[in-house]
Amino acid sequence: MSCLAFFAGHSPIHRLDPRMRLVSALCLAIAIALSERLVTLVWALGLGILLAAVARLNLLPLTRRLAHLNAFMLFLWLVLPWSVPGVSVQTAWGFAITREGIRLALEVTMKGNVIVLLLTALVATVDPSRLGCALDRLALPDKLVHLFMLAIRYTDMIHDEYGRLRNAMKARGFQPSFSSHTLRTFGYLVGLLLVRSMERAERVLAAMKCRGFDGRFRALRGFTIRGADVAFAGMALCQVCVWIWLERS
Amino acid sequence: MSEVLIALRNVTFGYDAAQPVLRDVVLEIQKGDRIALTGRNGSGKTTLLHLLVGLLRPQAGHVEEGGKTCRREEDFVGVRRRVALLFQDSEDQLFCPTVIEDVAFGPLNLGHSPPAAKAVALDALSRVGMSAYEDRIVHHLSVGEKKLIAFAGILAMRPRVMLLDEPTAGLDEQAVDRVVTPLNALDSAMIVASQDHAFLDRVTQRRMTLSDGRLASMG
Amino acid sequence: MHISEGVLSGPVLASGAVLAAVGIGVGLRRMSVASTPRTAMLSAVFFVGSLIHIPFGPSNVHLILNGIAGILLGWTVFPALAVALFLQALMFQFGGLTVLGVNTVNMALPGVVAYYLFRLVFGIARRPGIVFGLAAILGALTVLLSGLMLTAALALGGRAFLGVAVGIVVAHVPVMIADGLVTGAAALFILKVRPDLLEPSRPEVPT
Repeated sequence: MSCLAFFAGHSPIHRLDPRMRLVSALCLAIAIALSERLVTLVWALGLGILLAAVARLNLLPLTRRLAHLNAFMLFLWLVLPWSVPGVSVQTAWGFAITREGIRLALEVTMKGNVIVLLLTALVATVDPSRLGCALDRLALPDKLVHLFMLAIRYTDMIHDEYGRLRNAMKARGFQPSFSSHTLRTFGYLVGLLLVRSMERAERVLAAMKCRGFDGRFRALRGFTIRGADVAFAGMALCQVCVWIWLERS
Repeated sequence: MSEVLIALRNVTFGYDAAQPVLRDVVLEIQKGDRIALTGRNGSGKTTLLHLLVGLLRPQAGHVEEGGKTCRREEDFVGVRRRVALLFQDSEDQLFCPTVIEDVAFGPLNLGHSPPAAKAVALDALSRVGMSAYEDRIVHHLSVGEKKLIAFAGILAMRPRVMLLDEPTAGLDEQAVDRVVTPLNALDSAMIVASQDHAFLDRVTQRRMTLSDGRLASMG
Repeated sequence: MHISEGVLSGPVLASGAVLAAVGIGVGLRRMSVASTPRTAMLSAVFFVGSLIHIPFGPSNVHLILNGIAGILLGWTVFPALAVALFLQALMFQFGGLTVLGVNTVNMALPGVVAYYLFRLVFGIARRPGIVFGLAAILGALTVLLSGLMLTAALALGGRAFLGVAVGIVVAHVPVMIADGLVTGAAALFILKVRPDLLEPSRPEVPT
């Protein structure tokens, strides 16, 4: 899908071992999610921007992601400054805006943006077909890894099928609106996709069995850990320690 | 000189801009026209038909319908009410559980009330000889039966122009007759993309060929 | 009903992750190796289905479809939705990865509820009208339950977030209506076309 705009790049980040990236990303993200001090968050924001730059992320899809996130954050800014009790800074429309409210909104906004930057730079840059292998090496259950890989494989196909059906509906004059006709039409569309997909799954299973499928996961390409991967993981660990120290002091 | 119902004006299109499938194509479909569109597999017949109803947009040139230039989606919404496309693969076209519901889909979109839409749908089904299939489940029908139902679906829209993409693919002789009869009884203009030359001889009078991205008249 | 990164507190994220892991474990145990393709297909369909948007006033309503997912999958809806949500977070930044656990529980648990309720009624009555009505109600109910669970998750982070939570639930009323009717029509379609797919126990070829 064209939405996978980040993994087809070339950068030092792309060359890092996917497992290291995933684990580091998770540790960094969790550390940020637990942080509260502004100084930590500002530092983290710097790191996020740095990683995004090193990963040479495409600006247009990145901006769209951040816009999507910040649209929700905007909604928070319209509510939180008024709803948190504390020291009043200003009054608007009869309700008090508190310093604590602004601080909370700022904290949440920064956290959200930092985590999105981090995860986009480190996780969204992993090739989806290798993501399954990486997850397997990270000791996720076989069934779950299979599920994941098959789902990725078939998402494209089903999305195309959906596109063709939508085109045919368009060609017969269909224009969506909030009406029972539209909702019934989409319901039939979903029902059809479900039926076809379940029938296709039966054929897929038969084909897999014909080629000796027994449920175990066997990857074709392996992973190697290089110096750069260890260095990166080390740096990530240091970052987390620094942040923990900042939070504690 | 008959009224031009829909036209392609100097249209160039490629899925990959560097490799155009259609080059500078000019096509006029006039009232009463019954055009055959031939060409090898991959020559761009389906692409041309999809361009006419705005499912694809050209890199150069434009579509003209009823004298109006059509470039944006809003323009094509109107076009699709008057110009109907039969898809090459009926699997892509049929999605309602029962036959009558699927055939009535087009009329409902055109604004008919449910009873009126049903009446139009029943009429279309009878014209292709499939009245007995009214309450059958679409998913269980054979390839040939699905094609006829899809055909009824676009007949039900009573279009001024019909675009038919390989309408007889997969049909046996009897089924082909069930397509030919209503087609010859229609006064819609039409363009039929097909490899079935016997069928084309029965329903069309003018022949055009797509080759190397260029459209040319034959005979 | 996705919540995005950065909003929920640490303990909530952790509990979400643990609960999701438990649910996924139960779901995986009930998913035989042979039914992996089917589950994966359904996961992909729900991913694609969530892209469907319906105009509502000046903006759009996105479908959630955890109701029909639950009805078809039972407990296996946990791993199926976890995978779909992971892909959504990866590709669109819909929801998020730190909140994957919480989002999975919010979406999957109501799905499981819908499964049991559907079984209850479907065991007694199978007429198309009843199936449609039942599925429509369950479709709307699952969206409501997801919203309430989201409210609870937010409220655990402090009373300040209650206003936000209420806003989200209110904004999802049109989604409840849309999801309900779409779920009803989808169930009706499956009933008419392949009613066996609505049966709980499917004969499986032993691996």
